[in-house]
Amino acid sequence: MFIVDCDCHNYWCDARVLEPYMDGLFKDMFVRGERTGPPGAFPHAHRPWFHPEGFARKDINPVNEDDNYLIMKEKHLDLHNIDIAILTGDEPIEVSTLANPYYASALCKAYNDYMIDYWIPKDPRFYGSIVVAPHDPIGAAEEIRRVGGHERVIQVLVSHGASRPYGDPFYHPIYEACHEMNLPFALHLGGQGGVNANPIGAGPTTFFWETHALLPQSAMTHMASLIAQGVFEKWNDLKVVIIECGVAWVPSVLWRLDANYKALRKETPWLKQLPSEYFKSNIRMSTQPLEQPADVRHLWATLEAMDGKNTLMFASDYPHWDYDAVNKINIPDDWKENIYGNNALEVYKKIKRQEKAA
Amino acid sequence: MRDFQYLCDIQEVQEDKATIVQIGKRSIGVFKLNDGSIHALLNLCPHKGAALCEGPVCGTTKETNDYEFEYIQRNEIIRCAWHGWEFDIKTGEFIVDRKIKARKFLTEIKNQKVYIKLSS
Repeated sequence: MFIVDCDCHNYWCDARVLEPYMDGLFKDMFVRGERTGPPGAFPHAHRPWFHPEGFARKDINPVNEDDNYLIMKEKHLDLHNIDIAILTGDEPIEVSTLANPYYASALCKAYNDYMIDYWIPKDPRFYGSIVVAPHDPIGAAEEIRRVGGHERVIQVLVSHGASRPYGDPFYHPIYEACHEMNLPFALHLGGQGGVNANPIGAGPTTFFWETHALLPQSAMTHMASLIAQGVFEKWNDLKVVIIECGVAWVPSVLWRLDANYKALRKETPWLKQLPSEYFKSNIRMSTQPLEQPADVRHLWATLEAMDGKNTLMFASDYPHWDYDAVNKINIPDDWKENIYGNNALEVYKKIKRQEKAA
Repeated sequence: MRDFQYLCDIQEVQEDKATIVQIGKRSIGVFKLNDGSIHALLNLCPHKGAALCEGPVCGTTKETNDYEFEYIQRNEIIRCAWHGWEFDIKTGEFIVDRKIKARKFLTEIKNQKVYIKLSS
């Protein structure tokens, strides 16, 4: 089976790996400016919930920068016979929390150059996501055009924490650039804090585990907004990938959106289909962390209601604490070819499918 | 000592984390608790098959009726390396649902050497 991991985190030990890729004012800020942590910490506003044990799996303990790849290769890529790993960075999406969008864009630019320079050449299985600052849509669009043509850059990535819903016309220059460069737009769990002040509806929750279970709230907002604001009518070939935001909520939100649209379509006369139809044609969800009900039939009925065979894409979230191993996710056998690989190949057209070596 | 086989020397067993010993095809986590007792668990989490014993050895909080935090079982808990499920090293039980157990093996100490009974 051809396996594409849609969420494989390429870590660093020390954010100063970006220094050679920075220049001028923003390099000064990066080298000498204040940051959340000791030298080597990546500048971003932190969320008010700290993971009680840290994010990384405890059997992954890199000492120097090169360990990050070597451990990933041994404990993930080779172990699970993964054909393609889509690199999703780690801290860089947190630039969305910074008030200064120009500094945020400069950090993205440095990260993207580092990722292309350091990570992509390491392994033929790697394809990269370029990170942009969503609150600097003009700068983000420039960055997409600058590096989006690289043969192994396959998507544009932001955090799902945002200061406004992603359907807002404020962001549309980003989608125009994605369309022009033929790249999907992906949002990955993260970016809670700083200028993204409202990641949890009704106000901040208290404990990490309760909060983490609720973070898909923002993804629901983005999904509704992208559909209602007509993003998929303006760019009907645009694919949006929602990563690590849970899955089982999708049918219930689509049912509600469809019901309301049928009554009140006049508010959004630019739409030509039901919300659920835009979802099926334009939005893809990554599986991890796939919900684990006591009775798997309950999960499968839910996945069927969202056409999961065609809308889900396997993701591991390596090397995080809620990692899903390839052989441990519970989906119907006759969906596996699609979810582990074929759906991703439909979304990421640049991936060259090479059969596994014998 | 019938059915027991040599696992490791007792001085090899660390106190702040599991000592991982490969014995045949099995990876075993060996623990030395504060009371000096030795325990052996299969290094395989019953949840998702991760390297259970490569996680941190620590304590946990006692069930309380109010907003109180009483830290108990200091160094008697192993947290799985991946998803952090907590297991009682002495019993192998998963703290949240004690019906779920990590595989626990009987051990014996003789002449400063640890022996393990792999068959049940």
